[in-house]
Amino acid sequence: MTEPAVVVDHVSKKFRLFKESNRSLKSVAMRGRSVHEDFWAVRDVSFTVPQGSTFGLIGRNGSGKSTLLKTLAKILYPDRGTISSTGRLAAMLEVGSGFHPELSGRENIYLNGSILGLSRKQISARLDEIIDFSEVGDFIDQPVKNYSSGMYVRLGFSIAITVRPDILVVDEVLAVGDSAFQRKSAKKFEELRDGGRTVILVTHSMANIRNMCDHVAWLDRGKLVRVGEAKPVSAEYEEFMRSQ
Amino acid sequence: MTYFRELWASRELLLNLTMREITGRYKRTVLGQLWSLLNPLASMLVYTIVFGIIFRSDPGPGDPSGLDVFALWLLCGLLPFQFFQNAVNGGMGAIWANTALVKKVYFPRTNLVLAASFSAAFNWSIEMLILAAAVLVAGAFVLPFLPLVVVFMVLLVIMSTGIGLILAVVNVYFQDMQHIIGIALRLLMYLSPVVYPVSYVADRSANFGPIVGDITLLQIYELNPLERFISVFRQLLYDNRLPDMSDTLWCLAWTIVFAVVGILVFKANEKKLAEML
Repeated sequence: MTEPAVVVDHVSKKFRLFKESNRSLKSVAMRGRSVHEDFWAVRDVSFTVPQGSTFGLIGRNGSGKSTLLKTLAKILYPDRGTISSTGRLAAMLEVGSGFHPELSGRENIYLNGSILGLSRKQISARLDEIIDFSEVGDFIDQPVKNYSSGMYVRLGFSIAITVRPDILVVDEVLAVGDSAFQRKSAKKFEELRDGGRTVILVTHSMANIRNMCDHVAWLDRGKLVRVGEAKPVSAEYEEFMRSQ
Repeated sequence: MTYFRELWASRELLLNLTMREITGRYKRTVLGQLWSLLNPLASMLVYTIVFGIIFRSDPGPGDPSGLDVFALWLLCGLLPFQFFQNAVNGGMGAIWANTALVKKVYFPRTNLVLAASFSAAFNWSIEMLILAAAVLVAGAFVLPFLPLVVVFMVLLVIMSTGIGLILAVVNVYFQDMQHIIGIALRLLMYLSPVVYPVSYVADRSANFGPIVGDITLLQIYELNPLERFISVFRQLLYDNRLPDMSDTLWCLAWTIVFAVVGILVFKANEKKLAEML
């Protein structure tokens, strides 16, 4: 057993559901005392992600896997329990968020790279690799608002994948670009794994789970149903989904 | 301490976000960066005509500089005020304007507010440089006072950022805040000695006498931190003398108060921001 990359320890996350969703002064004044319900999106989930593994989170819609992924990415914070990780963690929950439409692709690489935690020097060293991988070619010095949607996400994906963190958290962004680009991306993920890096991903595609993951955690209604080797757990999950 | 260490580690991000604010804003305009100078110039023109010529606001000549140009006197107060306005407005909206980013990527959120306020500070610095040159050309020997001007500029930037940090959090919870602050800032300009000298308020206050106990109107008026800052900038740039001791101490005190409260408020709420947006 290798050292765990991420330890999820009895994590619960609740959301408050307000009857009136807008938070204006009026609604605060009218709300009186707590007219809200607590909704536990994730309940008491514990597991460890082994170092160097590709770890999949599976479950139906609304099972809490995206919420859990966001807590792993430090965007949300657990109400109970703790998450600890060893090494640098980067999250790719949406590609190209943080692009400034008026800035050129090149300027946006520096901007986005630093948001993901890279230094200017590191970005410069990887600049050619990013531009090359994204296939945007001569458009790199154009403002990104002129990009096609495909170019936009390809550039975003290229930056994020080039960050090369110890732990990469991914939310269904594998389906970016055309099939050739998807194959290229899948290979990039394999390279990450072969380099001993940990990847945690949420996906609905069973093909992705089979091809990429060695471990999976199955969530349902915020609770952990099963965690372990990818094959038996995903087979059980598929069985369950067919019975629905 | 880990908070500051993390902030320091992300200094390149702060630089990039600030550059994004500065270069992104005027990217599609013909005049580009010049727009950031045309705005204060237009205000100067309007206020000089309305308050200098029509209402005859007369601050008197600078002592000891002997300078007697209303437009320059106005700018010594107007530029710091407009910076404050831009920094507070920008800082307040920083989290809200970057919703997509805050909900998708983790990074120290303080950077967004800092970037808004630093980009305003960048524009302000250029304006102040031009103002200093203009004052110099008009015949005031301002050079020895410029280092102190820079010191007080840094203080005002810190204070505005602190206020921006507080309002950025409040604005996420109550969207009404930006409209309230929009009105408040407009009122604040007329409650600060931007278009008229403090002496006018002092005269009224002396005529009126104390309001409650020993407290005079002037004392309440001077609680406004911007009154102190504007006075200091005028003493340095327009009068060419060292700033009043009490003004200096008040500036320092307000800066510390808002910086500390701003950091504490922001730190306490930073983790909940993504959820509340």
